[in-house]
Amino acid sequence: MLRRHPQLRHILGRAGWYFVTFLVAVTINFMLPRLGDANPVDAMMARAGTTDVTAAREKEEAFLKEFQLVEVGDDGKVVRDKAGKPVRTSLVKQFGSYLAMSLQGDLGTSILQYPKPVSEIISNALPWTLCLQLPTIIFGWIIGNLLGALAAYKRGVFDRLLYPLALLVSAVPAFCFGLLMVYYFGIKWEWFPAVGGYDPGTVPEFSVEFLEGAAYYYVMPFLSIFLVVVGGQAIGMRSMCIYELGTDYVKYAKLLGIKENKILLYTFRNAMLPQLTGLALALGGMVGGALITEIIFSYPGLGMAILTAIQGHDYSVITGCTLLITVSVLAANFTVDILVGLLDPRIRVAQAGSK
Amino acid sequence: MVRRPLASALIALACVAVPLLGCRKHKNTGPASTGSSQSGSSSSPTAFARNETLYVGGRQWGEPSNFNPLAGWQDWPVNSMNLIYETLVMYNPVEGKLVPLLAESWDVKGDSVSFTINKAAKWNDGKPVTGEDVKYTFDLGKQFASLLMSPLWTGKYITDVKLTDPQTVTFTLDATKKNALPVLDAAVEIRIVPKHVIEPMMTAAGNNIDEFLKNKMDKELVGSGPYKLLTYSSEKIVTQRDDNYWGNAVFFGGKLAAPKFVTHPIFKSNDHFSVGLQQGNVDTSASFLPRIQEKKNVKAWYDKAPYFVSATIPMLWPNVLQAPLDDVHLRRAMAFSINYTDIRELAVSGYSDPLESGMILPFDKLENKYFSAEDAKQFGASRYDVEAAKAELKTGGYTSVFKDGELVEMKDKSGKKVPTITIKSPTGWTDWESIVKIVVKSMRAAGIDAREKFVDASLFWGDLYTADFDVIMFTPTAPPSPSTPWRRFDVVLSGAEWAPKGEKRYKNLGRFNNPKGPGYIARIDELLNEIPRIKDEAELVKAYRELNLIFMKNQPTLPLVYRADQFYEFTEQAWKGFPTAANPFLPPQMPGDRLGTRILWHLTPAGGK
Amino acid sequence: MALVKGLFKLPAFLLGLFLFAGTLILALLGPLVMHLDVKNRVGAPYMAPSGAHWLGTDHLGLDMVSMLVMGLRASLYVGFLAGLVATVLGTLIGVYGGYKGGLLDDILTAGTNLFLVIPSLIVLILLSSSMDEGRSLTLIALILGCTTWTWSARAVRAQASSLRARDHVALARINGFSTFQIVTEQILPYLLSYVFMVFILQTATGILSEATISMLGLGPYDSVSLGKILNDAKMNEALTGGAWWAFMPAMFLVTVIVFSLYVINTAMEGVFNPRLRK
Repeated sequence: MLRRHPQLRHILGRAGWYFVTFLVAVTINFMLPRLGDANPVDAMMARAGTTDVTAAREKEEAFLKEFQLVEVGDDGKVVRDKAGKPVRTSLVKQFGSYLAMSLQGDLGTSILQYPKPVSEIISNALPWTLCLQLPTIIFGWIIGNLLGALAAYKRGVFDRLLYPLALLVSAVPAFCFGLLMVYYFGIKWEWFPAVGGYDPGTVPEFSVEFLEGAAYYYVMPFLSIFLVVVGGQAIGMRSMCIYELGTDYVKYAKLLGIKENKILLYTFRNAMLPQLTGLALALGGMVGGALITEIIFSYPGLGMAILTAIQGHDYSVITGCTLLITVSVLAANFTVDILVGLLDPRIRVAQAGSK
Repeated sequence: MVRRPLASALIALACVAVPLLGCRKHKNTGPASTGSSQSGSSSSPTAFARNETLYVGGRQWGEPSNFNPLAGWQDWPVNSMNLIYETLVMYNPVEGKLVPLLAESWDVKGDSVSFTINKAAKWNDGKPVTGEDVKYTFDLGKQFASLLMSPLWTGKYITDVKLTDPQTVTFTLDATKKNALPVLDAAVEIRIVPKHVIEPMMTAAGNNIDEFLKNKMDKELVGSGPYKLLTYSSEKIVTQRDDNYWGNAVFFGGKLAAPKFVTHPIFKSNDHFSVGLQQGNVDTSASFLPRIQEKKNVKAWYDKAPYFVSATIPMLWPNVLQAPLDDVHLRRAMAFSINYTDIRELAVSGYSDPLESGMILPFDKLENKYFSAEDAKQFGASRYDVEAAKAELKTGGYTSVFKDGELVEMKDKSGKKVPTITIKSPTGWTDWESIVKIVVKSMRAAGIDAREKFVDASLFWGDLYTADFDVIMFTPTAPPSPSTPWRRFDVVLSGAEWAPKGEKRYKNLGRFNNPKGPGYIARIDELLNEIPRIKDEAELVKAYRELNLIFMKNQPTLPLVYRADQFYEFTEQAWKGFPTAANPFLPPQMPGDRLGTRILWHLTPAGGK
Repeated sequence: MALVKGLFKLPAFLLGLFLFAGTLILALLGPLVMHLDVKNRVGAPYMAPSGAHWLGTDHLGLDMVSMLVMGLRASLYVGFLAGLVATVLGTLIGVYGGYKGGLLDDILTAGTNLFLVIPSLIVLILLSSSMDEGRSLTLIALILGCTTWTWSARAVRAQASSLRARDHVALARINGFSTFQIVTEQILPYLLSYVFMVFILQTATGILSEATISMLGLGPYDSVSLGKILNDAKMNEALTGGAWWAFMPAMFLVTVIVFSLYVINTAMEGVFNPRLRK
């Protein structure tokens, strides 16, 4: 049956490859952070400030057992080697119990934020990440593409002004916008609150009071990402449009006397394809968090959660977050693969003919 | 009631659509009214008026996750004493005196310490705080060796906690040690927990402490302190005043603490607390902020350098188990070679008095009687003196090879190359990085082959506790307590804590003075054991002087600079009445932190904004 | 050649080249002509610019001009090395996948996707904690190169697969040339200008990424880089204290390098891709 549906066959084939990638990624993301020598419990002990050997040893054993990082003997005690060091559970065994747990929907418990479950950490941070980035990326994408298309179509002064500006905006390190905004708009002139997600005197709820406050706090973080997205998209769209405007089909269409508006519509539709791909990828990558923006504005979000976890070797949180990133990035890529195949006739033909 | 991340997400999404017109000057000004109550049993305010809310900072960095008073560490406000859970007594480091809290009186004898609990003390569920609660709290440490109070038992300082009458708890001291200092420290550091709440939970956890510690205790929180946990999220933690707090009548003539809410916003980095203080959105903070003199509206304990009251000594710990750091001449040469002025002025913004040799804080009014300027001058090596450093190197038989003014290598007396000494410090800890860089530069100039080695923070701690280093940077923190300065010496010098490399130890990190090794200085451990028992002031001065002298002569660690136990900063834009050196009615501790909690009753809204 | 000549007639290209050459000359010749010292303090922390120290001092009282020149060298080094690694990896994988197609292409594409989902921060922190020498400038450059090559692989792959069907490639195949020969002799030469543009962009990415990594406090321990200067300025509250010289010049330098690279790239794109010309 698949023989008669080359497209379906193609999709299934791609899906298979993505699934393999997913499995490998999950394995690597599990193994990688655990390969080093670091013992996350050491940092915890330091934070607890214990100076008593017995107390520290008890506590360390309890944690090592809790996180299944060491072998536990039949007597319920941590197995130690001759030097007195706890014997580490093999990575394969750890991976096995991790898989068993995750299949039941349990992502484990955080080490650094003990006893908070990883799922809770993610569900607290994700909404912030999404509401910081989703609007930014979508609005930035729309406006950037409009500007890029306009520049390509109009050329002239508009293009000569916009284009270098867009290049410049993409050349400034993203965090510099944030830092400068915090300094000038937040501290020096006090136009906007310098840090935070909303008015500290309020509690999140659906009220005009809160919404107004939150919107006010949103302006600077939004702008600091927005500008960069607009710049990048405008450059890409401009190139694509100029490219399409120079193609043979446009020339041919012009010779045929097809109306300019209609030609423009065709060109822009074709130019949009790669841009659409960019959008999907940006949305997939969004889950990784806007780390720097979060730090600069003290905005809660996933980026910060991941960084803290990586730095503190908080294994279960790293694995949980990377799982989320893996799923979203691969899903976005897969969608792009399939969409491009369906929408772009040239590639559609190539797919059908290649096998 | 506590958190609604999803709602906040939707709201912020919706906000994008809200047109943003105009730019008004923004301060966080909550509406004047609070307490639009929500449905059900608990009423929760949705806005906190600025003139009823005190914003504190520097005590909470990550997302809050744990409020269990028995856990190794907790989130604010449980981690800062006496806002929710209270201790038996408090300690005033300025006056060196104990201050009553749950215990109205205490009696320190040669073989026991007893505390009499105030009859008026109440848990905020209305039940009285009794001797039973205190005994239960400390007995937990006997049962579970991982708890904060367990060192009293595992360190063999006490043999028993008993009730001499329902309100009086007596700690029997170990007959050989007879050291009351750890008990007094515990009395100011251990939060007393309600037996009637904890015991049933413990039973439910099968009397397994690890199971019990899985309780976050954010809801079942019953304390005896003046505030209650109201709500928390990844952005802030809010506590609300308990108007029925028992201490209002006992200590404040029935007056309530001034702020109705004490809130800790959660920021990602230090500079945000700094911005908050300058803009008046944070009232007081314990975070490090550089160059305080440049910050508008921000004040500290002193109005000029060193601004803060130092209580700890960041130091370098040479690993004395290995050559060449086992050589006292080299260690003293290192001490002489360091440019302490650069460290003070550049790395810590001048927040320190000039360094003196030894481990007694010469500027501290309570401690300076133990300090001998004469000894320091004659035997101390903690001063920048390159010639003296070179002389020590020569005595030790070391030669330094320079080429074009740069040190190439160092040779020992047998003519062999001394391997480069590395100084470990965690990467990304910028103030320590600066210090270590200055140290390395100074040492190399004097002819000591040292290099910086910045390691990942998670590896740092393992290396620190197992003596896996040549030289390591670390500040032994000991907040001012009844046992100061004994504890400072104990942490650095205790021979009882000696262990070979590889074994984990949390004191004597450089493994100095092996009791079974050659050159063991028995006098150190004798003095450490004797000092807590000495009652006579003159004898105490003599003993500390002797101990400090041994430290100077042997230089087991290299003190670098002094540092505040807590950077006490405040701004009076929203609240007035903070204590300062000029008006020291309370010590420099943040409101909601140990004795500093009492500042809350002295504050008044500043009016204006 | 005519194309290259045309390139030099473009004002945009000349501007980019001029800016980039300027930073390069400053980095290469700076230490020779100027007296630079990033070890010894010359004054108080955050001293304002003066005749002796044109851009004042940093938080440790070090001369800011010296710091900037040394930082510029380090950033350019990271950029080039990371760009080189990413371009070589990306080109090899992209060309092979694009030319061969089939199973090899599927595997290489899956591998490329894999690198998209492993956060480079994990690799960075893991490697720097397991390597004895720690997080050196070279290590950072290599890690950046090894984690940013994915998009160049995708881009090159698309180009290579379009060349696959060309007559001269088919001819070479029929004549029994080996894959390696075909790739190096028939495909790569046609992609050369494209690969060079990829290299330019990867270098810019390397410089920006170094700045970002340093901002997180994960910068090199062994050298001054522009990113580290920016991070130090933030950590020590230079901006809030009004010490613009600790922040603005470093930011300006990063922007100028990256901007000039972008301008060069787009100018080249216009020349080598005739359709983009007006």
